[in-house]
Amino acid sequence: MDMQRQNPLTAIMSSDHKGIFLGGALLVILFSAGAFLVEGFASSNNIRSILLLAAFLGLAALGQTMVALVGGLDLSIPFVIGASNILLAYLFGTGIPAVFCILIIAVMGLGIGLLNAVLSYRLQGQALIVTLGVGFAVVGAAQIFTTLGSQYSGTVFSEVPKWFATIASINGKTLGLPIPPVVIIWALISGLVVFATNRMRRGREIYAIGGNRTAAARLRISEFRVWLLTYGVSGLMASITGMLLLGFSGGGFAGVGDPYLFTTVAAVVVGGTSLLGGSGGYGATVIGVLVLQVLTSLLVGLGLNYAAQQTVFGLLILPMVAIYARTPHIRMQI
Amino acid sequence: MTQILHHLRGQFSHLIVPAGLVAVLLLICAFRSPQLFSAVGAAGAILVSAPLILAAMAITPIAMAGRGGVDLSIGPAIGFINVTIVTWLTSWGFESPVAVFVFAIVVGCIWQILLASMIVFVRVSPIIVSLAGFMILSGVNLVILPRPGGLAPDWLSDWGYGTELFSPVLFVLIAAFVLWFLFQRTAMFQHIRLMGADEKTAYTVGININVVRFAAHLSAGVLTGLAAVCLTGLIGSGDPSQGNTLTLQAITALVLGGTSLAGGRGGVVGSILGAIAMYLIFVVLSSFDFGAISGFMTQMSYGLILVLSLLLTLVATRPKPAAV
Repeated sequence: MDMQRQNPLTAIMSSDHKGIFLGGALLVILFSAGAFLVEGFASSNNIRSILLLAAFLGLAALGQTMVALVGGLDLSIPFVIGASNILLAYLFGTGIPAVFCILIIAVMGLGIGLLNAVLSYRLQGQALIVTLGVGFAVVGAAQIFTTLGSQYSGTVFSEVPKWFATIASINGKTLGLPIPPVVIIWALISGLVVFATNRMRRGREIYAIGGNRTAAARLRISEFRVWLLTYGVSGLMASITGMLLLGFSGGGFAGVGDPYLFTTVAAVVVGGTSLLGGSGGYGATVIGVLVLQVLTSLLVGLGLNYAAQQTVFGLLILPMVAIYARTPHIRMQI
Repeated sequence: MTQILHHLRGQFSHLIVPAGLVAVLLLICAFRSPQLFSAVGAAGAILVSAPLILAAMAITPIAMAGRGGVDLSIGPAIGFINVTIVTWLTSWGFESPVAVFVFAIVVGCIWQILLASMIVFVRVSPIIVSLAGFMILSGVNLVILPRPGGLAPDWLSDWGYGTELFSPVLFVLIAAFVLWFLFQRTAMFQHIRLMGADEKTAYTVGININVVRFAAHLSAGVLTGLAAVCLTGLIGSGDPSQGNTLTLQAITALVLGGTSLAGGRGGVVGSILGAIAMYLIFVVLSSFDFGAISGFMTQMSYGLILVLSLLLTLVATRPKPAAV
């Protein structure tokens, strides 16, 4: 459109990656502001805690990104996180070898994701509500299961294996480096996902379905299989996040997932993935996650409480979306 | 005659599932908790379920208006009106019923106009606008009133006893129904349905879709205000987080009521039935002694019934080959 005046700025603004540029710029600005305004902001301790919390949010938001790429939303993520969290704590208390416990929960998470996929594929356009309903049912069932025969409702106490707790603890070390292992895991998974979605056939199919499902069907891409893949990944990643959060906190609590209901969507949106499907990607979400965590840390450093942070998050989403994900005018859609 | 029947069936097919659900639940209630059918029991039921009924009504026109619009901010918006009534309005000395009602409705409408402006003029998709609205208002509510407290005006607190069947809450509900049915007879309402079903067609036939979207949000704003007044009457004080739980409940009620989030299909009667069904589920479950797990039972049942009713609605309203 703007062929006449193609200066570098308009080139960036009209490229597919403007979300990444804008997010990156925002990240640098926020970080500099933090380093300038808050004492100890740029200290290695603070950076480590930002990265640790970003890893949890990033893992939880991976599935949300995949689902958003096909134009859906997965509201079951916080509930799967909470259910995995207390169920793993419960299983650790039963004496089953820890590795099996983790496998059982991971399979459960994947199963819930696949169930979401089947249901929301059948009920086109209602994915939001299907996942919400499945989430309610899952967390309710998990709490009933763990509460039966226990006097604490909603919380499960048990011994978390030490090696498991180190993965997600702030003082955890990776091969002697002072970085919690979960951050490294997140970085590896991010690299893998970005590669898979950009370079592999299965990954490109996600974009094809999100961009234009009729065209994708003509290319003989199975929409159902893409649905299974995205929602399956979402359920699996949510259960992994829930398990890692158990290692982080040490006690099982179903409400641990609650903040992730809206923050995963916020991370996806701030990063620059359109909720309408087809554009964006996990690389953008990683930037979105970092922006949100650096911003949180900055706001905490400035003495703002959780309530004020939420307001700022909300105020941040609208301009970000207004910059890069405006729906075309109705005249253009006809 | 058969054509009329066919037409009626098309109009009301989305009500089959919620009406059946309410009937079954009422039958169970007749055995499990017959006190619901006494005057006092019914009065309590109306009082407790009124905020949810009105909230579910409020998000109906927005969902019908299409673009996947589901107002996530409804709960915090109700909470905002609730906390501002007990903090600002009482400190300004405006405690009369007229002042409270006018304030609640005006604030509800202003909020909805803000949302609609973002959707219409900035062209951000409705779900993101209402998500941002949820986060902004739930934060703001906690800043205005950090913890539950404050006192509602005396006349409003008195609602909370809920012993009389013909209580003010019932009249508010009736007023809301009457207003809605008047609104339903207008051309504007048909335009909302048409826009929700197919926005491009609505635009091409010359409907001013921006005005229609504002109208959908304004009608939601009025109902939001009424819901907030009923909530304030129910709890008799201010609570910054009570409203937030209403969002998910209202959406559940909306979907139980057969309104499609894809737009164009559904109606407020369904949402009312959905909200009543949710209250009845709660009553039935509390009649069993689940002890520590009763809250979890309610949550799980809401989830299961939500998914099941979606599947049932799919079967009941599956588009059939046109008979005519």
